[in-house]
Amino acid sequence: MFAKRLIALVVLAALLLALVPVAAQSPVDVKMWIAFTDNRLDWAQQKAAYFNTVFPQYNVTVEGYANYEELFNATALASEQGALPAIVQYFEVASQNALDSGYFKPIADALGDRTEVNGLAVNLDDFIGPVAAYYTIDGKFNSMPWNASSAIMFSNMNILKAAGVDTPPATWADVEATCEMVMAMDGAPEFCFTWPNHGWFFEQWLAQQNAVYANNDNGRADRATEVAFNNAAGVALLTWLRDMKDKGYLYYSGAQGGDSWATVDQAFQSQQTAMAVYSSSDTAIYTDTGRQNGYEVVASFMPYNQDAEGGWTGNLIGGASLWLVDGLSTEVEDGALTWLTWLNNTENAAEWHQITGYLPIRLSSVDLLNTDGWYDAIAANGPSQVWMDLQIVQDAQGSNWFEGNPNFRVAADQLAGSQQTAATAGALLGNFPGIRNIVTQAIDTMLLTDGADAQAILDAAVAEANVTLEEYNALNAE
Amino acid sequence: MASTPLLITLATTLIGAGLIAYVFRNLGYNVLLGGVLGGVAGALGTLFFMLPVNFCMFAPDPEARYTIELADQIFGLIMIVLGLLMTLWPLRWWAIWWSRRNDPQYATQQVQQGLFKSRFLPFVFLAPTLIILALFLYYPSLDTFRLSTLLARLDSQRTAFVCVDNFTRLVNDTGYFGVVGTTLMISLAIVAIGLVLSLLIATMAYQPLKGARIYRTLLIWPYAISPAVAGIIFLLLFNPTGGIMNYFLNGLFGIKIGWLNDPAAAPWAVIVASVWKSMGFNVLFYIAGLQNVPKDLQEAAAIDGANAIQRFRHVVIPLLSPITFFLVITNITYAFFDTFGTIDYLTGGGPVGSTTTLMYQVYELGIVNKDLGKAAAQSIILFAMVIGLTIVQFRTQGRRVNYGA
Repeated sequence: MFAKRLIALVVLAALLLALVPVAAQSPVDVKMWIAFTDNRLDWAQQKAAYFNTVFPQYNVTVEGYANYEELFNATALASEQGALPAIVQYFEVASQNALDSGYFKPIADALGDRTEVNGLAVNLDDFIGPVAAYYTIDGKFNSMPWNASSAIMFSNMNILKAAGVDTPPATWADVEATCEMVMAMDGAPEFCFTWPNHGWFFEQWLAQQNAVYANNDNGRADRATEVAFNNAAGVALLTWLRDMKDKGYLYYSGAQGGDSWATVDQAFQSQQTAMAVYSSSDTAIYTDTGRQNGYEVVASFMPYNQDAEGGWTGNLIGGASLWLVDGLSTEVEDGALTWLTWLNNTENAAEWHQITGYLPIRLSSVDLLNTDGWYDAIAANGPSQVWMDLQIVQDAQGSNWFEGNPNFRVAADQLAGSQQTAATAGALLGNFPGIRNIVTQAIDTMLLTDGADAQAILDAAVAEANVTLEEYNALNAE
Repeated sequence: MASTPLLITLATTLIGAGLIAYVFRNLGYNVLLGGVLGGVAGALGTLFFMLPVNFCMFAPDPEARYTIELADQIFGLIMIVLGLLMTLWPLRWWAIWWSRRNDPQYATQQVQQGLFKSRFLPFVFLAPTLIILALFLYYPSLDTFRLSTLLARLDSQRTAFVCVDNFTRLVNDTGYFGVVGTTLMISLAIVAIGLVLSLLIATMAYQPLKGARIYRTLLIWPYAISPAVAGIIFLLLFNPTGGIMNYFLNGLFGIKIGWLNDPAAAPWAVIVASVWKSMGFNVLFYIAGLQNVPKDLQEAAAIDGANAIQRFRHVVIPLLSPITFFLVITNITYAFFDTFGTIDYLTGGGPVGSTTTLMYQVYELGIVNKDLGKAAAQSIILFAMVIGLTIVQFRTQGRRVNYGA
């Protein structure tokens, strides 16, 4: 009996001793939710692990969700339950929702007058133009930019060259002409062209034709109250896509939104299609997969409508930014700001660009990659395993990054060549994610219904979108 | 017209009073007492549904977001009638039961007394279940009713009252009727194909073969798989470019079917996946049913010269009809409510909405489009359908389901 009690006491004492120091020294938990489950999640987690060794007072953990849409829903549900993390990645079209939701605190407000956190320089002026323009309102950063991309096209040059085409097509008409040649040759792939039926590409193609998506200058001059994508630009796009499908050139998987990316990856990487319009976010994977499987992948500007007035006006950025949750304790908020600042430092932004294809969002990162010394600089900054394992990075050591990897400069060049108009600024719109679903469903109907009329389909989609927008604004606008 | 609610309550009070007074007269009770009880019940029945919505469909409010149309008023009347049924019918039933309580002709079986000495002890044991039910089932259900009268979004803290617009706008919504049609079509196919195939397989599995037990066990496995996993399995099988289904079809017949991007083919992908998924359950019940078909009846039919097919058609199938009926009900419930996971992973409701069922539509509205109010209204319609199915199941169970010979 006595022995048992003694054992119990000893165990209890041991437990207390084990708990007390942990409670006293445990690092501050900083949770971040992001919408990736692939090597981008690995990268972020590896970066967080390194950050935690440099700043042992913090414990940054990164959790991945399947796609933007799912993370967006999970955040809304978590806020109902008061279970939000410290940082959430919101995709660009959810910016209006993020502002209205009240979940988040503008980064600029959290920073206040500080120019550095925990000894790290913040330097918000260093962000490249299109990124700064998208994520600021009146020059004030609401969220921390992170992954910014543009829509570009990947071409399988082995197929194109076999068909007698040396450079990727630039316009819709060129794409069609190329497809005619590709599909006519012996050993033609099953399809010629594909793209993910994700609302973002419709927005890109509208912006290229200098057509706005919503009223009030795309919601930038004042809160958007009506959408306007049933314009000539929208009709031209739907008509062209349908035409491409009728001719047997276009592969459409039937998957929409977040589900659509993987179906395009599969078709392009199994060489069942020659060209794919896609996000520059996957330039690294597309280029690398081609090299490993013996076909050359060339990135080019997103093809545009040659019949549009003024030709190509420009493209808009996409991607997502990191939002700081409101109402955090000072320690957690400082930890989150420290982590965000470090994650976006020159070397990390360059590394992030190299392992994905997202834009190098810092001017200093672009400068760094244009020198021969980029490799050593990144290697000295706690590089990730993902980066070290990437063959194209190792191969480019000791030379100018962009010269050896022209695919990686296409998105930045496309944005640099874009005119700044209301259309190419991108729409700021309430319930934008919901309206995107209406648009992808309209395209789905256009491609899969007999005798579909583009104007009628878009008119119906606009009417449906306007109802949801009116309801959203009724509840959220002052 | 501020007095419209008062008039309606008064009118239903009178109706209730009249009806119950009539019942009481026939039973030989005090007519006045019946009138009073009926009046109270009538008023309560009306107020049960009308107070929460403040008689909105009968009292226009120029400030509000909603407008009142004929459909809203008809909907209001239906709610009042339902409320009256909910109070007056039990009252009538209770009065009749009271009048017969001492009549040996209607004496119910003596209910066996429980073993609990204390009145409270049973509730202590029930409490964990009741608390969980109340928190996770009853409260959310009640909240759904509240939400269904609101313009409410998952991305906004504010809400606006819209009366019963979330229900009545569906009357003019051709898209909604399309979804109803899709649901009925897919459900009918799942039930019909599922039951016919299950019966055939059960008949074969019931044959006295070597290793029949292993074979039967394997048949039941798909039932243990979650609908979402079934969706993923069939997503791989039916994939238009890399799927094994089209690989074989192409090799054998030179055709490729757009299982996931052809609105004519996609529902069949969902149907095949769902039938496969529920097959084990159906086969299990049919094998049990076949074991209960009396051998002597079969032998008698054989002696009378009926061949195997005739015996199956005229002896086995009729004897299995109670089980078939039970399976029809459970399979309809399955097709309506449990195919969500399969649809979500396989087709996501597409292409062109060809696999959007009522259940999937609720998810799309509420979670994807964040429109909680409309989603709540549509889920209440689904809820009403479950109640209808359950009533059918309960009322027929005692009479027709007969497992023995």
